[in-house]
Amino acid sequence: MKNKTTVLLVTLLAFMMLAGFGCGKRAVEAPVDPAEAHLTEEERARLEEERRRQELERQALEERKLEEERLARERERTEVRLQEAVDEITKNRIHFAFDSYELTADSRSTLQKISEHMKRFNNLRLVIEGHCDERGTAEYNLALGERRARAAYEFLVLLGVSSDRMQIISYGEERPLVPESNEAAWAQNRRAEFKVLQ
Amino acid sequence: MVIMRYCLIITVVVLVACLAPMRGAAQEPLQIDIFGPGEERINIFIAPPKALEAQVLHHPGTGRQIHHLLQDYLGLLPFVTHVDPGHILGGPEVAGVRGRDIDFRKFSLSRVDLLLTIGLEQHPGRTGSVEMRAFEVFGQRMVLGRAYDLQDEDQIPLMVRRFCAELMDYLTGNGDFFRSVLAFERKHGDNKNIWSVTPQGTDLRQITEVQGITLSPAWSPGGEKIAFTLLKDNRHYLGVWNLEQDETQTFTLPGNTIISPAFAPDGRLAISLDPMGRPDIYWLNDDFRMGQAIMEHWAIDVSPSFDRTGRKMAFASGRLGNPHIFVHDFNKQQVNRVTYEGRYNTNPSISPDGNFVAFSRQTPDGHRIFVAELSTGRERQITFGPGNDEDPAFAPDGYFVAFSSSRSGDYRLYLTTRNGDEPRQIPTGRGDAKAPAWGPERN
Repeated sequence: MKNKTTVLLVTLLAFMMLAGFGCGKRAVEAPVDPAEAHLTEEERARLEEERRRQELERQALEERKLEEERLARERERTEVRLQEAVDEITKNRIHFAFDSYELTADSRSTLQKISEHMKRFNNLRLVIEGHCDERGTAEYNLALGERRARAAYEFLVLLGVSSDRMQIISYGEERPLVPESNEAAWAQNRRAEFKVLQ
Repeated sequence: MVIMRYCLIITVVVLVACLAPMRGAAQEPLQIDIFGPGEERINIFIAPPKALEAQVLHHPGTGRQIHHLLQDYLGLLPFVTHVDPGHILGGPEVAGVRGRDIDFRKFSLSRVDLLLTIGLEQHPGRTGSVEMRAFEVFGQRMVLGRAYDLQDEDQIPLMVRRFCAELMDYLTGNGDFFRSVLAFERKHGDNKNIWSVTPQGTDLRQITEVQGITLSPAWSPGGEKIAFTLLKDNRHYLGVWNLEQDETQTFTLPGNTIISPAFAPDGRLAISLDPMGRPDIYWLNDDFRMGQAIMEHWAIDVSPSFDRTGRKMAFASGRLGNPHIFVHDFNKQQVNRVTYEGRYNTNPSISPDGNFVAFSRQTPDGHRIFVAELSTGRERQITFGPGNDEDPAFAPDGYFVAFSSSRSGDYRLYLTTRNGDEPRQIPTGRGDAKAPAWGPERN
């Protein structure tokens, strides 16, 4: 009998302890959204699924932003490279002897560099300007300037630049680079220049 | 339009006395062979202006201006020497402007060959009438007399040019120097536009107003058009200015270059184009499209220039390695080389009679103008710098040659003659002036 009583007490104690733990568990539970309080399990699960989906979307959005930023950086790098190519094309000039339109070894090497840029960037178009020094006379110089520009044009065609991406204009002696009358200025002024159209 | 205004107003009357020689009519007429080898000169004296009747001159400045312009314009003729009024024995005055009023002896003693008188008739509120007479002093006869009814003081320079034209007709057989106008290119900033001015330096006006570079103006034979090269927007265009509309049209043509347009006497336009990848000379059709080739060669061919008949065309070509002058004879279908000296001969201008070609040659001292006689091959240097002398252009009289020169530091226009007379600068305002082209004055 005494044993039965002990078993009952222990059982009661265990029940009370269990009940006490139960009360403690409720105290730390996350507050339930009052709006969800009446939801069924199924509805809660759907809500949870929706939250997960939104989270995935957020991550995809961020990924997309990162990708766009990466592409922008890439574009910027390409633009920088393009601008560098344009700068290099336009800063390069080739020079000629008096009353001559023959390309020198230096000129051919410059044209080689220009052709590489032109082949790398297919959207570039080139205007080749032919110029002369003031020692000739205007009309003959207009013709000579054309010959100079054409010599550069034909060499670039040989190097594989498509002819429809280039146009020629002769300015004769009308646009001197150095507006002075001495040997050094004349040598600078006898030239072909390259302008880029994008 | 300044030119149009002139055409309306001046009334010219040929003075009857012109047809009635006075004493000494049997003498040899006073005439100048401007193309002869000699250094013929005549002494001219322009008497102070007089009132035609005993009246008060309401605008005394008019007479002074006419006297001054006559002096200036006739002073451009290299064979004219103006006699100093202080050298006229007994004083420079004349009793009247008609032959009967003139004491020819004192002018004869003072070595005056040609005496000019100016008579004025003025009324309040009107500019009035002007009579101008030219007398051969030795023969004591009037060789030219003209009366002009002026509506406006602005007409005075034109009136004096008209009188000078007729006087030069009488003296030399060709007074076109005073009936011409020069088109030329003038620089302002990075642009160049076409302007015009008379060879006497009057009526300076801007013809084109483009943002670009206009080069090599050429007049049509009747003076109703000017063709030129236009460099704009990375390409060459043919520009054509039309006098009637005062408008410029632009045309594109095959190839990359449009250089040195020149009208032939029949009104067709010749021009250097490069449809084959080399500058050759072509005719253009009436609608300014490319026509037949005149001169095809692997080398550069530019700067066509036609004689009065259109049978000869001078041009510059690099076919011998350096630019030289050649003449194409259309009848014989033959090209003759003109220059053998020098290594850079360009800018040919053939004389209207087809006997001479003026061109510029590069010398160690800069470009200089030379004239070659086609029948003999003889050359004569007619300008001597300093700087560069370029763009020679024979006047319609075949006597005067306009050219551009940097002798003052900047390019300006000058006049000389095919004999190489002392160059005179033509006032063209600010900015480099180049490429003079002669055309007829339209009135």
